[in-house]
Amino acid sequence: MKKLLFVLVLASLLITACGGGAAEPAAESPAADAPASGEKTMVRMWAHTNNSFIAGYEALIAAYEAGHPDVDIQLEHFDYELYLQTLQTSMPAGEEADIIQLFGTWTSQYHERLAPVPANVMILEQARETFYAAPIGGYEVDGVLYGFPQEFNMEYGGVLVNKTKFEAAGLTYPPEWKTMDDVLADAKALAQKDEAGMQSVAGFHFTAADPTWASFLAGIKQRGGDYWNADRTGFTFNTPEARAQLQWMMDAVNAGVVDPVVFNDSTNFVIDAFFQGKVGIGYIGTWAIAEGQTNFPDFADEWDYVYLPPTQGEPVFVADSGWGLTVSPNSKHQDVAWDFVKFVTADPKNAAQWNIASGTIPAMPAVAQAPEIAEAMPWVPKALDSLPYGEYLGTMPDRDLVMYEIIYPHILNALQGVETVDQALEAIDAEANSTFE
Amino acid sequence: MEAVVGNKKRSKGGLAISKGRFVLGVTIPLLLYEALGIFILGWAFALIFFDYSSGRVGGPFLGLGGSNPFVGLGHFVEMFSGTSVKASLFRMSLKNTLIFAFAILPLNLVVTLSLAYLLESIGNRFKALYRTIYFLPVLTSSVGVALIWMSMYDPQAGWINAIIRFFGGTPVSWLSDPRAGFLGVPVAMWAVILAYLWQDYGYNMVIFIAALQNIPQELKDAALIDGASPWQTFTRITIPLIQPTLLFVCVMTMLSSFQVFDIIQVMTNGDPGNKTQVLMLDIYKNAFRYQNLGWAAAESFVLFLIVMGVTIFQMRVLRTDWEY
Repeated sequence: MKKLLFVLVLASLLITACGGGAAEPAAESPAADAPASGEKTMVRMWAHTNNSFIAGYEALIAAYEAGHPDVDIQLEHFDYELYLQTLQTSMPAGEEADIIQLFGTWTSQYHERLAPVPANVMILEQARETFYAAPIGGYEVDGVLYGFPQEFNMEYGGVLVNKTKFEAAGLTYPPEWKTMDDVLADAKALAQKDEAGMQSVAGFHFTAADPTWASFLAGIKQRGGDYWNADRTGFTFNTPEARAQLQWMMDAVNAGVVDPVVFNDSTNFVIDAFFQGKVGIGYIGTWAIAEGQTNFPDFADEWDYVYLPPTQGEPVFVADSGWGLTVSPNSKHQDVAWDFVKFVTADPKNAAQWNIASGTIPAMPAVAQAPEIAEAMPWVPKALDSLPYGEYLGTMPDRDLVMYEIIYPHILNALQGVETVDQALEAIDAEANSTFE
Repeated sequence: MEAVVGNKKRSKGGLAISKGRFVLGVTIPLLLYEALGIFILGWAFALIFFDYSSGRVGGPFLGLGGSNPFVGLGHFVEMFSGTSVKASLFRMSLKNTLIFAFAILPLNLVVTLSLAYLLESIGNRFKALYRTIYFLPVLTSSVGVALIWMSMYDPQAGWINAIIRFFGGTPVSWLSDPRAGFLGVPVAMWAVILAYLWQDYGYNMVIFIAALQNIPQELKDAALIDGASPWQTFTRITIPLIQPTLLFVCVMTMLSSFQVFDIIQVMTNGDPGNKTQVLMLDIYKNAFRYQNLGWAAAESFVLFLIVMGVTIFQMRVLRTDWEY
């Protein structure tokens, strides 16, 4: 009996140990995996839960299946945090879906576990011609293409404006800003404090995480600097251009347009605060429009989405790609998966349909300029002049760490009076470069 | 006679086989479950020595090696002497965890023991009612508790600032002001400690009530006859007699304080300026947001060692070698 138990324990240990290994990529033998006559080819697709995104996918899946009756695409979606965990546990085990929705900047972290785009689907040069530079840049690693973007995630330059508050303050509406000084002048007129001296309305809320890093990096670029060294092996954040931009942000806070202790990423986040009437001008990407409309249907103030003028010079900015689709190398139906991905992302009509459903800026110039986009999303034509100036953020060892644990906290510390400009820049430079080690 | 003996033998053999099957049927699933647990622990322990990321394929054996290289004790060296951002975040998280745990323990003991003593002294009619009221927060989800306290701490619409305004004071941005502090601890940390304490105190209070009820009445009566004051009775009779319970409560409170996660993630997510970032939150972010699973495993091991050390210390200091 004891011997039997010992053998069973040993066997179970071996089984569990062997089960944790990474699965070998599936051999590309479509014939071997082809479904029997009459059976459908089942392809699984994973995405994060965003109701408008999912509605867009479901419509395109239905359209694809109508044209391919032998294909069954199963869409599964997960809450954002759960999606991250699911990707990280399933990919090493080789258990991921055939089609995986990824954010562009994640591609460089996952590319070893992704299938390159086959040449018969699209080559890199074609992709660069088809998509804007910023979104496609996220899907390219060392000259290899790993997927296609569906949106141009533009965190720089766009603001929600509260028309009701503008008119109440006697300001020109729609705003006719030529320079950032014009923006600050309006913001000062919009800002309000309560009887105890606490800011109750932020004139210009730019102190959430994404607007902070986006405006900081764009400001460096527009002042003629760069945050990359010459061969892109390290960062250069302690520069005159970075100092000038951070000082500009400090001056804006000192002018009273926003109190960064009361309005930041964790307290009075820009979308929540704007749609509760606590913000005059709220700096945020276009994705906030759909979210605000969904989450705050009773917000009575009139509002719009407009774009800021550059700090100086050309409106150069950096963007971190956007959501898009990739394919697993473990998929037994890679040909079908890539055909569907191309159908969704690279067909202008379908891409436009998804962008309208999800309220996102198109990743393709041809789609961004389409009349149906202008009709459905009037804020997109306003961005058309800026989009070609967008550059890809660059492949970083860990983009989230640099943006959310280094740049944003130190800039916020400076704006809140905990660090000086020099201290913040030195810390950002040293800590960001440590991510290369 | 032989036939009877033969039947007895057969039935005894059948019983033994049935017992054996029963033991196997019960034991094998448990052993498989244990094996899974051992594998998971072993896997986590192995990761400590590798710069492992789930995004990289790595070597042929479980993805270890190759692009997930072996670093030996490198993670630990980096944690305590490195200059990287993840090392400084670890040290800050460790400091915050110690502040949190060592603030929670005395506050929790003072509140729960006082309340338990108070409840024991009131009439039976209201005892059950108060016990239920005080225990309710324990049954509430941490996310719900966090949301309730966030609304109270809201700098503009929260009622705590409303009271401060009413009395002409200066309102505070409780969860996001990095400059405000008390006794050298950021006010955001105190705010989180208060919320956690409110949620958790009912559990220990019920345990203390049970311990107080077990103290023989004769001992208290004897102390009274000897002229002991209520305070002397409490400190010289009650406290020594509930020492085993005190040990249990201290160990469990410390364990849960070192592992605090959900209430902080919802209320501050480590802000302002990482001043409320505790070890569990840092481990979670490294593992699932930044994909540094090797680093996260090493942090978990450090947390395990700290918790084990503190628990052993408490058990040595508070242990008793008597019963009543």
